[in-house]
Amino acid sequence: MRGGNLAGLGLAAIWIAALVGCGGGGGGGGAPTLNWYVFNEPGGAYEQAVKTCNEKAQGRYKINYVRLPTDANAQRELVVRRLAAKDSDIDIIGMDVVWTAEFAEAKWIKPWTGPRRLTATEGKLRGPVTTVRYKGKVWAIPFTTNTQLLWYRKDQVKRVPQTWDQMIDQAKRQGKSIEVQGNQYEGLTVWVNALIAGAGGSIVDQSGNVKVDASTSRAAEIMQKLANGAAPPGMATAKEDEARLGFESGRSNFQVNYSFVYASAGDLKNGFQKKMGWARYPRTDPGKPSRPPIGGINLGIGAYSKHANQAFDAATCLASPENQLVAAEKGGLPPTTESVYNDPKLKKAFPFAELLRQSIEQGAARPVNPAYSDISLAIQKTFHPPGSLSPGDAQSKLRDRIDKAAEGKIF
Amino acid sequence: MTRTPREIAAWSIGLLVVLLYAMIPVMWILSLSLKPATELGDKRFIPKDFSLDNYDTIFSTSEFKHALVNSIGIAGIATLISIVLAAMAAYALSRLDFAGKTVILSGALAVAMFPPISIVGSLFNIWRDVGLYDTWPGLIIPYMTFTLPLAIYTLSAFFREIPWELEQAAQVDGATPWQAFRKVIVPLAAPGVFTAAILVFIFAWNDFIFANTLTSTDNARTVPATLAFFTGGSQFEQPIGAISAASIVVTIPIIIMVLFFQRRIVAGLTAGAVKG
Amino acid sequence: MEAANVPATRTGSAPVEKPERKRMSDRARSERRLAWLLCAPAVITMLIVTGYPIAYAFWLSLQKYDLRFPDEKEFVGLSNYKDVLTSSTWWQDVWNTTIITIGSVTLELVLGMALALVMHRAIFGRGPVRASILIPYGIVTVVAAFGFRYAFDPASGFIQGLPLIPDDWAPLTDRGGSLLVIIITEVWKTTPFMALLLLAGLALVPDELHEAAKVDGANAVQRFFRITLPLMKPAILVALLFRTLDAFRIFDTVFIQTTGANGTESVSILGYNVLINRVNLGLGSAVSVLIFIFVILIAFFFVKVLGTSTAQQRGEV
Repeated sequence: MRGGNLAGLGLAAIWIAALVGCGGGGGGGGAPTLNWYVFNEPGGAYEQAVKTCNEKAQGRYKINYVRLPTDANAQRELVVRRLAAKDSDIDIIGMDVVWTAEFAEAKWIKPWTGPRRLTATEGKLRGPVTTVRYKGKVWAIPFTTNTQLLWYRKDQVKRVPQTWDQMIDQAKRQGKSIEVQGNQYEGLTVWVNALIAGAGGSIVDQSGNVKVDASTSRAAEIMQKLANGAAPPGMATAKEDEARLGFESGRSNFQVNYSFVYASAGDLKNGFQKKMGWARYPRTDPGKPSRPPIGGINLGIGAYSKHANQAFDAATCLASPENQLVAAEKGGLPPTTESVYNDPKLKKAFPFAELLRQSIEQGAARPVNPAYSDISLAIQKTFHPPGSLSPGDAQSKLRDRIDKAAEGKIF
Repeated sequence: MTRTPREIAAWSIGLLVVLLYAMIPVMWILSLSLKPATELGDKRFIPKDFSLDNYDTIFSTSEFKHALVNSIGIAGIATLISIVLAAMAAYALSRLDFAGKTVILSGALAVAMFPPISIVGSLFNIWRDVGLYDTWPGLIIPYMTFTLPLAIYTLSAFFREIPWELEQAAQVDGATPWQAFRKVIVPLAAPGVFTAAILVFIFAWNDFIFANTLTSTDNARTVPATLAFFTGGSQFEQPIGAISAASIVVTIPIIIMVLFFQRRIVAGLTAGAVKG
Repeated sequence: MEAANVPATRTGSAPVEKPERKRMSDRARSERRLAWLLCAPAVITMLIVTGYPIAYAFWLSLQKYDLRFPDEKEFVGLSNYKDVLTSSTWWQDVWNTTIITIGSVTLELVLGMALALVMHRAIFGRGPVRASILIPYGIVTVVAAFGFRYAFDPASGFIQGLPLIPDDWAPLTDRGGSLLVIIITEVWKTTPFMALLLLAGLALVPDELHEAAKVDGANAVQRFFRITLPLMKPAILVALLFRTLDAFRIFDTVFIQTTGANGTESVSILGYNVLINRVNLGLGSAVSVLIFIFVILIAFFFVKVLGTSTAQQRGEV
């Protein structure tokens, strides 16, 4: 029967598909492969760290560098999906500093206990250590950190502003703009958090108690003032790279950004790097020291990993001071171990090493809370676009949204 | 029938407008892909300097190559299965008489209207539990399901036009049923099947939402999903050039298909949508 | 014998003689069995792959189930639905989606009709025209979205270099501009499909009517509105139904161009954010089911209220 022929063909096709689809994967014997999921670091630092640690491992394990996208949101999406799918493929995770509480609560990472706890935190700067602690346990080992500095044109700016207000007024007077990250993404939360912390406030605490207060209005006020007086075009879609490009083009004499902009300027080879000056992140409140943002990567161990013991050792090796120095030189990523800041090689890579260390030591981490991604989304929705902010409104809207976010509702 | 010069001129302008409408965005992406990194912001439609750097970049890592393999394989297999299943159903719907035809066709119509977002959550959870997450079958199954209505409609319309009595005539002339099928029906049905396959392939090639949510590594991630996750030169850099180059690479097969088979495709689309 | 060879698109008339009727029944029964056998794989696939997940989504939506708090899973009945339906974000997103839908479908209808008319009267170059309009249809949506995004972004675009457009115009930083770019992208991509649907409908308008009207002194515009449009109404309604349902489900373009920022978040993006980003399966499933219900309502409206007839698609005509 013709129908029968066709049906047979159909079944064959399905069978072939199943074979093809299910094939692949599964290694042989030998050293266990540990997959390290982390963003694609273009300077070659992570590659070198992997090579060094594989040599040191002498066959006990072999680290495989799995590259994630550059965008922090995209990284989280991918990693969360796999962890939620109980994937045993993930051994070591290059975690953004804000993921700790969420992953710990969801039981997606293993805690560092016993002697490992000390290994993870000894000799590290205070700022990064706060980002690996949750509910009394340590959940990752700090690897690299990051913070933002105020960069300015030495040839255009005579007096370096101390506060945001001063900087905005100066830029207005000069008819130039200030480069910031105003897109609706994690970078906006970084800015908002730094402003609020600089006014002495916080947003939510570990247990989910909402602490939105007048510091929120103050932050909104500053952002709105900048957006409507000293902002470059496209500020509301600018991320870190757009800010860097804007500063290099000369349309702004100020930018607030991570340290990678210094190395990038060096690549330009037109003497631009020599015109760059650096200073501490601006103050929100003239009477209180600024609280610079803290970023960076911590290394966590996947809860479903089949080789947890080796993974802990591998992560410890990857985060060693030696590899941190390589990350600084090749990737422009500041170290988390205090002693590395005294290394002359580091001072050569970062002429501003001391300022970095100080900023990280005194910086403010973003809220530590398992619902962090929701909270960040709530902040982003409230503060975007910065040009349309109304300070009083922003405070009540943020409080409302964070309430809902912490309760797991739609906001 | 002579055409006045005015009519010819008017029609030529119309033709040009249509061509520009279709090609300007494609030319723009091509232009972006050929711009060197330093000129990406120069606001020019045509590049000042031409460079193949972006193409080098996307082929230098395995990410894009894997994505291409995934796209071709997954879309291809989904198309194959979908056409086979749809051909069987279309044969029944166009040749045989039975109650329930309307139900099946209405049901297929309903599936075509379905919002994919409504089932990605469930599929994510189910695939998680049965281990189909981030695998080829994990994508092939939703693809073949959502292309079935299109395939069934297109094939039904084509099959309705086939003179089936020729098969009977061949058998009267001494051919076995299988020979009659192979030598008479298959050549008549082939164009329709081929057209339906093209339409289905385009549909599967195009999908983003399933590819995005049901995969997480280049084991199964197709090109549209990979484009959204491309990495740039530095930690914070926008990979405009790379995305443009990848876009052109993934568009070329479509353009070739369209150029060679435009008559078939149009016939398939209009036959499937409205019985003309 | 002859009756069996004709493609059976309508039920045959009942035979008069008894023995023939018995043979017809036998034959009809075996035909029906074969038919169901052939349709079974396709039907079962569609049922299982769409039916089961939507039922499962409904089941998930009745629970509080957030993958980040795995210990707190519990049955909560309809409270997720209450949360979604009372949140202003949901209704704002419905409104955003409606604006995009109405904006793009209207433009597609007008442009598509123009394109269909042009193709209908083609003097030469039918091939190139068909090939060119199929390119937007065939291009990957994500590619088109990137293309238009980069074109309109002042950091990379060429639009800002055109005369009359300010150098720093950044449409993707505000709501109106973002909606504009999204709608332009959607219209560019799907007008050809609309045009093809309308072209098929145009072909059904008999030329004799036009000839008769011309004799009566009607000009082209009058003929279009009094003859062409009314006769095309069924085809137009079907095209509108398909395109409206498509537009309401919009995801790819919004995701690539704005990820829902600037007040362009569509309902599908909201569903994605809650389900995949926040891995809140309970709440996200409620959003998914609600989107499904809205789509059914739209289809219902078109069929029952506007009188769209899908008879041709269902094989009855």
